[in-house]
Amino acid sequence: MAPGEKIKAKIKKNLPVRGPQAPTIKELMRWYCLNTNTHGCRRIVVSRGRLRRLLWILFTLTAVALIFWQCALLVASFYTVSVSIKVHFQKLDFPAVTICNINPYKYSVVRDLLADLEQETRVALKTLYGFPENTSRKRREAESWNSAWEGTRPKFLKLVPLMAFGQDETGKARDFLTGRKRKFNGRIIHKASDAMHVHASKEVVGFQLCSNDTSHCALYTFSSGVNAIQEWYKLHYMNIMAQVPLEKKINMSYSAEELLVTCLFDGMSCDARNFTLFHHPMYGNCYTFNNRENETILSTSMGGSEYGLQVILYINEEEYNPFLVSSSGAKVIVHRQDEYPFIEDVGTEIEPAMATSIGMHLTESFKLSEPYSQCTEDGSNVPISNIYNAAYSLQICLHSCFQTKMVEKCGCAQYNQPLPPAANYCNYQQHPNWMYCYYELHQAFVREELGCQAVCREACSFKEWTLTTSLAQWPSMVSEKWLLPVLTWDQGQQIKKKLNKTDLAKLLIFYKDLNQRSIMESPANSIEMLLSNFGGQLGLWMSCSVVCVIEIIEVFFIDSFSIIARHQWQKAKEWWARRHAPPGPQGQDNPGLDVDDDLPTFTSALRLPPAPGTQVPGTPPPRYNTLRLERAFSDQLTDTQVPAES
Amino acid sequence: MHLKKYLRKCLHRLQKGPGYTYKELLVWYCNNTNTHGPKRIICEGPKKKAMWFLITLLFTSLVCWQWGVFIRTYLSWEVSVSLSIGFKTMDFPAVTICNASPFQYSKVKHLLKDLDELMEAVLERILAPEQSYTNATRTLNVTIWNDTPLVLIDERDPHRPVVLDLFGDVHHGSASSSPAPERTCTAQGCKVAMRLCSLNGTVCTFRNFTSATQAVTEWYLLQATNIFSHVPRHELVEMGYPAERLILACLFGPEPCNYRNFTSIFHPDYGNCYIFNWGMTEKALPSANPGAEFGLKLILDIGQEDYVPFLTSTAGARLLLHGQRSYPFIKDEGIYAMSGTETSIGVLVDKLERKGEPYSQCTMNGSDVPVRNLYSDYNTTYSIQACIRSCFQEHMIQNCSCAHFLYPLPHGERYCNNREFPDWAYCYSHLRMNVAQRETCINMCKESCNDTQYKMTISMADWPSEASEDWIFHVLSQERDQSTNITLSRKGAVKLNIYFQEFNYRTIEESAANNIVWLLSNLGGQFGFWMGGSVLCLIEFGEILIDFVWITIIKLVAFAKSLRQRRAQARYAGPPPTVAELVEAHTNFGFQPDVARPGPDPGTYPDEQTLPIPGTPPPNYDSLRLQPLDVIESDSEGDAI
Repeated sequence: MAPGEKIKAKIKKNLPVRGPQAPTIKELMRWYCLNTNTHGCRRIVVSRGRLRRLLWILFTLTAVALIFWQCALLVASFYTVSVSIKVHFQKLDFPAVTICNINPYKYSVVRDLLADLEQETRVALKTLYGFPENTSRKRREAESWNSAWEGTRPKFLKLVPLMAFGQDETGKARDFLTGRKRKFNGRIIHKASDAMHVHASKEVVGFQLCSNDTSHCALYTFSSGVNAIQEWYKLHYMNIMAQVPLEKKINMSYSAEELLVTCLFDGMSCDARNFTLFHHPMYGNCYTFNNRENETILSTSMGGSEYGLQVILYINEEEYNPFLVSSSGAKVIVHRQDEYPFIEDVGTEIEPAMATSIGMHLTESFKLSEPYSQCTEDGSNVPISNIYNAAYSLQICLHSCFQTKMVEKCGCAQYNQPLPPAANYCNYQQHPNWMYCYYELHQAFVREELGCQAVCREACSFKEWTLTTSLAQWPSMVSEKWLLPVLTWDQGQQIKKKLNKTDLAKLLIFYKDLNQRSIMESPANSIEMLLSNFGGQLGLWMSCSVVCVIEIIEVFFIDSFSIIARHQWQKAKEWWARRHAPPGPQGQDNPGLDVDDDLPTFTSALRLPPAPGTQVPGTPPPRYNTLRLERAFSDQLTDTQVPAES
Repeated sequence: MHLKKYLRKCLHRLQKGPGYTYKELLVWYCNNTNTHGPKRIICEGPKKKAMWFLITLLFTSLVCWQWGVFIRTYLSWEVSVSLSIGFKTMDFPAVTICNASPFQYSKVKHLLKDLDELMEAVLERILAPEQSYTNATRTLNVTIWNDTPLVLIDERDPHRPVVLDLFGDVHHGSASSSPAPERTCTAQGCKVAMRLCSLNGTVCTFRNFTSATQAVTEWYLLQATNIFSHVPRHELVEMGYPAERLILACLFGPEPCNYRNFTSIFHPDYGNCYIFNWGMTEKALPSANPGAEFGLKLILDIGQEDYVPFLTSTAGARLLLHGQRSYPFIKDEGIYAMSGTETSIGVLVDKLERKGEPYSQCTMNGSDVPVRNLYSDYNTTYSIQACIRSCFQEHMIQNCSCAHFLYPLPHGERYCNNREFPDWAYCYSHLRMNVAQRETCINMCKESCNDTQYKMTISMADWPSEASEDWIFHVLSQERDQSTNITLSRKGAVKLNIYFQEFNYRTIEESAANNIVWLLSNLGGQFGFWMGGSVLCLIEFGEILIDFVWITIIKLVAFAKSLRQRRAQARYAGPPPTVAELVEAHTNFGFQPDVARPGPDPGTYPDEQTLPIPGTPPPNYDSLRLQPLDVIESDSEGDAI
């Protein structure tokens, strides 16, 4: 015999397969109720009287229902998080600080590119508002061109005409160029919200954008000419700048040595070499401190302004573009080293002739990703390709999504955002109707019709620097006298003129204290907790455990089925036997087992001690009876009796 | 007598235990325990027995594992936080106000005269060297200069930098051999540096700056510190801005207040600072309403005309909100308020209350930090900033043997100055750049458990307006100086409104995430879930273990006795000894064969020896008592068939 067979035989011999305990279902149930470890069932069987039995059945069922309900609640609330807030006082990494001049390019350098546009803007202003021409020093130069322009075709105004029209007469507009009223058919899109009621008689200004075949036109109107002209100017400006190569743009903008007059970090001098260039389409050259690749990140081990970054910026207001930017100063943003600085969205503005002191507090947040929330760890599971060369963030996702859609729909990329692979920026030459397309798409984006907002998910962890900004006058009256010449000397050969107070801005960025707050989510429940809560519920209502569950499975699903099967088999056998053999006087199978149902004797039921008279040891029958019945109640019975005897 | 009988009975019962053999004991335990698994091991057929045995083992190990997990979780001392936000009547924060300039120039002029002249000469030489060298005939006090001179490093030739002393004697210095070249040197070619020397000028280092502005500012600050460290404290206080000159008007809610409500404190960086509502002597003032009307309104005059020109280049008031009885670290956490504006500050009190040991490494009052708190002289509470500064001062005294002017002076020490400690500037500059020193301090100092931050929403507007300027300045001048002329200007006037926001507190409170109740309920839950057990089951188990040990002892004793007997038998291997001989030696040998008899025979019990008559009914009863066990077992087995 093979060893396997041997073992099999041995197992068969030692652990024989036997049927269920009881011969009938009823018997089985009874056996179960009496022997189960759960508490309710036993009372059902043991109770006397129909009402009590009913009550106990009711209680048991209620308990079962409660258990199911409570456990369902526990399971449903399994994926909840608990939040913990921790504070550490430690050496902190200094964030990357990106500083931009608000004006992107030096106007003197970029002027020849924008000369035509400037001309037309001035003409538009003149026709619309009756602008006197020689009011500002910059406009004086424009005069000479003005006369020369008379002969040439105005290309910008023709392409996207600026118009003024009365609010009440829809469909009719006055063109700036011709001065004639002309019919306008198409949708009118008010930039100003519908809820705001513009004065009825007031003329509104806007511009018209048409698609390729000029049958679909949209008119964008603004309640103020300032907004309209700036928007119009920006549109054309982007068009022009999109065609300029990046190297040229970088050269047209400010250099680091020019922007940063002095720099001090943690008591140590720093200079332009500590800053990395980052070219922003709308802000020109920006410089990022503490963002140098393959170099250690600077850290702060003391709070306070003298241990942070102190820079003096040179804001050359003379070189500002009059139509593109109307404020002066610089913009600064504090961000993570691998984060893209969205300076146009979340930058802090710095005023010239002021010391801006920015105190930081660091808060770190960590969220739990799936299945607790919809956030994403690194953006790899978001179906949008990241066109930025930076770590994932919601903002990046939205911008990337829009840019991708833009390339898809309009065939070219929007100037504000980086280029996706195999695409180029929009300009008239190649994409004459891109502006209409862009505006349409942008409207759809804002109305969440592009689905970007639905697809993009927030990042799971982020660092946030809470900034407390305060201003002070700088330089002070008495220190101005010596400070400005020294700063001029520091600036050196970049500028030939003497520095003015309003050309400079001082910026202090520092950690107020080194307390770092971390807000962390952690799972509120673990599997162990869930099980122990289950255990608590089961124990509370029924004193049940997994063992009981196994019992139930055993009794109700295995034993009862096998009993039924056995019954059926026997019935079939009987039926077969009856068909083939004459029926014999056969009764039901062992009814003797019903003796168990017998009422207990008086003595045992009341658990009375044996009467003193019956202390004769030689009367076996009652003894045996109690012995047999004792099983139904408890085995302790005899045990309690013995000491009484001994 | 009765008691003795009872005790003997107890002993008897104890000795007997629930069974006489291991098997019996186990069967009894399985049958009678309240834990769910074991009962099933014994009451069914062998296959089921095996299955239930495995299941019980599995569940037991599961329970043990889970308990381990829970106990480890409990011992990790986690905390859960609760956040509450809202408005309640709270103590108004302490408000510290300083002027950006520490001293009035008119009062410190006599001290700084030499230094200022020197500074002007230096600036002249940096900016326009040719002229100044020709007319360097001015009488200058060069003694100050010689301690830490400024030098110009000409880096136009990167391989051969030329170090030029900025002062008259060009021949001084290492690289002065080349007679001053063409002096049109700007920031690109030349760097201004500070020469720091120690050991009588033998060991020198240059502290380089990329801009002349920084270099001269740092240099001036170093020299000024040196000068002021000689001056006793009360004179310094007099030279600063007095309260009545700085604080012009004060209104707290509807109640007027004036400069006398402010506590004066001397800050080395900002001179006289004034603290409102510090709560040191009287009770802190509460504020029960949100909004600017119920907060603190102040009008200050920073007197910009009287600033020390080279010491501070920023003009404004310094402001800090902090908790009562805490020292204001205004240089780190303070904000500026600009002159000629009204600055409104909405306050939200952000409080973090942590649990101490063993939940986190924070300290309640700083008593367990190994750094002596130098700020305790001010009677203020512990804060980590105070600890770090004290730690720095300690290091300073250790390394440079003098105390730095910016931090409090420990007893028996002196402030650094050039006359007594000529090397201190070199030493200090080394220590300040030393990252290791800072890290030791950070590691030594513990954060305090209660951390309060005042979150501010700052907004600004021009003040006073052009229309109101005239009368406001008139009134304020009249009040302060009793003069009909306007002694104030836009350059100096600062208005401040500090008030609680609509929600004025946000409290984050820690509580133990896992307390002992949590642990017990989870342990119970696990035990109940897998096995339906409770503490009583554990006690049962312990009882069984004791019984086990007891049976083992009895068996061992019996075994030892039988061994001895066998040996005794072996001793008399030859001719068997007579009974009389044996009786002489051991009287009670006659009982021992009875004990040695194996099996659950009643005869095994040693207590039988105590019973006087061996042939009486008790053993019979005993056997009756034992009977049910066997009966039930066999019965249930019979049922199972």
